[in-house]
Amino acid sequence: MNLDGEDRLEIAYGVHRADLMRLLMARTGDRTEAEDLLQELWLKVQQQPGGPVENGRAYLFRMAQNLVIDRLRERRRRMERERRWSDEVTDFARAGIEPADRRKTAEDLILDREEIATLTSAITNLPEGARRVFELHKLQGLSHGEVAAHLGISKSGVEKHMAVAMKYLRRALMD
Amino acid sequence: MTARSNSEKAMLDQAVAWAAALESDDVDWDGYMAWLEADPRHRAAFDSIALVSAAVDDHRAEITSLIAAQAPSKARRRVLRLFTYAGGSIAAAIALMVGVPLLWSPQPVRSYAADAHGSRDIALANGIHVTLSPSSSITVRGKDAGQVELASGEAYFDVRHDPARSLTVTAGSYRISDIGTRFSVNFTRTAFRIGVADGTVSVSSPGSEDVQVSAGHQLLSGSDGLTLSSVASSDVGSWRQGRLSYSNTPLPLVAADISRYSGKAVQIDPSLEKTHFSGTLVIGDGSRLLADLAILMGVEVHSQENGARIGTAAPR
Repeated sequence: MNLDGEDRLEIAYGVHRADLMRLLMARTGDRTEAEDLLQELWLKVQQQPGGPVENGRAYLFRMAQNLVIDRLRERRRRMERERRWSDEVTDFARAGIEPADRRKTAEDLILDREEIATLTSAITNLPEGARRVFELHKLQGLSHGEVAAHLGISKSGVEKHMAVAMKYLRRALMD
Repeated sequence: MTARSNSEKAMLDQAVAWAAALESDDVDWDGYMAWLEADPRHRAAFDSIALVSAAVDDHRAEITSLIAAQAPSKARRRVLRLFTYAGGSIAAAIALMVGVPLLWSPQPVRSYAADAHGSRDIALANGIHVTLSPSSSITVRGKDAGQVELASGEAYFDVRHDPARSLTVTAGSYRISDIGTRFSVNFTRTAFRIGVADGTVSVSSPGSEDVQVSAGHQLLSGSDGLTLSSVASSDVGSWRQGRLSYSNTPLPLVAADISRYSGKAVQIDPSLEKTHFSGTLVIGDGSRLLADLAILMGVEVHSQENGARIGTAAPR
């Protein structure tokens, strides 16, 4: 039975509800959206299958954080689609009679591939040090400490390289 | 640097640091919230970094394999090129790479070409920079590189403004002058396109009055003459960033681009020759351009000897 675990996360939610609302407010700057996300978080908590959670507060904070980022990404993708395709619908042959979903899939595929191309070329253009640190940490999943040990540099060196890489990729994605 | 952009830079650094801190097991959530609450711009800075992270995480596998695929191919290309030099076509190779002044010509003439594997940057005299897209070539005449002819393919020009300069770029019977700007010219047997990212140019062609094309506009030739339309400046020459962007562009021109990038002949059914395409294709290694175009346009691709043909989808 994992009822026990579910209960604990639900209890943690009750205990930290105000704190979670504060995080969501700080993350979105919009009360309505924060409340909406808090509700979504509650639904997720209830669906959560796993066993007992060690640090309920940290776990819930992470879940909330991920919900915000998912939503951000969705919004950005929607804007991108609209910017690119809204007034060009007539150019897609038979767009009118094609199921909307299928067309969306093709568009998303293109946007995905474009994002991949942008990121890949930005990564390959990074300064050598930043590139190696970025690949080990973000692509191969090594922790900062492991990357530092692997390359024989300090942890703050890893952080500096990561900062260079993230800011460079940010610029590339915003272009 | 202004104080404002300094503080923006500082915020971005803090956002990167917080994003890294949030990856650890023991996060100072209270410190994080306090930082966010201190200034609404902190949120925007953090969002922009979090979006990069999320995008990389989403596509980690594809990015990893693309990077792995890129490294060796560069080395292979270099070897191939060396082989070409050694293999007998030395004169041709030197003519392509360096340019040979023709002795009987009153003016120096140089040719430059980019092969099928990549684009090529060329710095000409007088602050004229040209980027040739794959399988494209230009011929440059005059001491000050005053006449540039695009033989085929696409070239991006970045020309420092200089009122004393007289530069013309020709492509077939099209002639571009009054240049001090950034623009991209595409020319195939059947189609011509110029997109202007910055500044203005003048285009003349037989049977048509001179047309001024300014930033954010493109001039297209089609079966029904010249058409001037708007185009996002950032889409002009976007092939240099790995994308082919089209705004209401005749399909034959799109097909010619795909032929150059994929190295395969692409033909079009006569029924589609007057069709126009708008959208963006990711170049990648060129092999998926045609399939992506087919999805976006709802057309079918039939492979045939030496290439492929685009036709309308069979009725279902």
